[in-house]
Amino acid sequence: MVTIIEFMSAGHQACDNQFALAEQAAYASGWRQAEAEFNAFREDISCHFHREEDLLFPALLTAGGPNGPVNVMKMEHAQMSSLLDKMATLVANKDAKGYSGLSETLLILMQQHNLKEEQILYPIAESLLASDWDALHSRMLAM
Amino acid sequence: MKLISLSTEQAPAISVPLRFFAVAPVFLLLTAATLAISPGNPFAHIHTPALIAATHLVTLGFITMIMLGALQQILPVMIGSSLPAPRLLPWLIQIPLIAGTLLLASGFMLGKPVLLNTAWPVLGLAFSVFISAALFSLIRSTAKNSSKTAIILSICALTGTVTLGLLLTHGYSTGLSLNYTSLATAHTSLALGGWVMLLIAGVSYQVVPMFQLTPPYAKWLTLSFAPVIFVTLLIKLTLLMSDMPPRWAELVTENLFWLFAILFSITTLILQHQRKRRIPDATLTFFRIGMISLLGVALLSLASQTDSHVETVKIMVALLFILGFAMSLILGMLYKIVPFLIWFHLFRGGSFHTVPNMKEIIPEPWIWRHLRLHVCTLLVALLAPYWMVAAWLLMLSLLLQGIFLGYTLYSAISIYRNTLYRLEQT
Repeated sequence: MVTIIEFMSAGHQACDNQFALAEQAAYASGWRQAEAEFNAFREDISCHFHREEDLLFPALLTAGGPNGPVNVMKMEHAQMSSLLDKMATLVANKDAKGYSGLSETLLILMQQHNLKEEQILYPIAESLLASDWDALHSRMLAM
Repeated sequence: MKLISLSTEQAPAISVPLRFFAVAPVFLLLTAATLAISPGNPFAHIHTPALIAATHLVTLGFITMIMLGALQQILPVMIGSSLPAPRLLPWLIQIPLIAGTLLLASGFMLGKPVLLNTAWPVLGLAFSVFISAALFSLIRSTAKNSSKTAIILSICALTGTVTLGLLLTHGYSTGLSLNYTSLATAHTSLALGGWVMLLIAGVSYQVVPMFQLTPPYAKWLTLSFAPVIFVTLLIKLTLLMSDMPPRWAELVTENLFWLFAILFSITTLILQHQRKRRIPDATLTFFRIGMISLLGVALLSLASQTDSHVETVKIMVALLFILGFAMSLILGMLYKIVPFLIWFHLFRGGSFHTVPNMKEIIPEPWIWRHLRLHVCTLLVALLAPYWMVAAWLLMLSLLLQGIFLGYTLYSAISIYRNTLYRLEQT
């Protein structure tokens, strides 16, 4: 059975892969492909945010997990979502320079966020949610 | 358990790292000027006053200045523990560091004991404040990772470097009878092999995968690299201080040290080759040049082990380490960190739509131009010990790099100030 850290970190890696494909497409390919790759990336990351905000974080808080770090993570999700909204506009406007600047910015924001989750929050979740993980995992897969 | 965060509670004010970064280019100008006023080719002999002065201007005024500024930003983010007294501390570190570096360099250049005797307590103050604050923060942190170990060992190496540096400076200025050659070798090894290389490694474990989406470093390497390097440095120190060190022990220590440096540089290059991010990126090229330079330094050092009296090779190795390895990596990281920090602080305080993105804060073509200038610097640095024209070109290119970096950083800071002002008005 996959652990919380393994499953959630794999989610980050999948988003990273799709991020790189979208960035590469916006740099070198036509806008049709860039739009498709960007939309796939946006879907992946939204799904990951929902898994955390709708399932993992509430379960963590119910199990006595720390409130502050969860709020910081949710605030950073909101920051990334607003960057993604702006990037969607730039893709629609075929603005390669603007997209490249925001993509660079999003990458660092996203990576430092992932690092905090993988090194701090997921280990806390793993220690507090061992007995609930089976059920949570099935619900996450269904999303 | 504390959450590692870039939140206001833990990260210092943006002015803290930026003021360290903004001063550093001035020391590149001073380095170039110091070399230029020296008679003859300053790179031809290792003990020319101009070369010793210039080495300290670049290692203390540029490299260490930026590393200390970056560490105050990185420690809270990477290990979740900030430095104490965030308002007072940066001043207590930076002002004596600037003053001490200037006194030390002028003391070497002019051969004035009084300047050297004033320099060492001033530098001692800067470093004792930084080292105690950083160790306090690191010990308090609950995070457990290889970066933290590498940073702790790097700061321990800095403590040794500074202690030996102060002893040497005090000795020079008062005429104490010391084994200067051995102490100076130990001082240089701890400074470059310990403080600089271990800190770069500790930070690389995190930022290489983060910036280019590479696979992570192998666990065995991150677990063993910093401890092995640190232990070999300690053994080297012991051997240097003993009267008749066994030759085999010296060879084993040296080989082990350089073998691990090669492993670190090759691993980094392989990871970067496996990156998911395939778009051209000047900061990646800076990083790769740094790692290739480290590889070159290691191979040259291994090849010249049996013929350690070739002075010009030693100078070339030192230039390749300081300018090729340390400076390339520092520039690569600066061009990522500065625009992100500025964007992050503006974004936090204002409307998203009016905040410039990272590539508007430092335009990408500028970074490529600086990269080309840096490559020219390295090419002439390799010839400088042998050819006066190359020595002059090296001084000129260091001067141009100082001007270029200074202009880029001041432009970025001015964008920050103007945007902040605009946000406050609306």
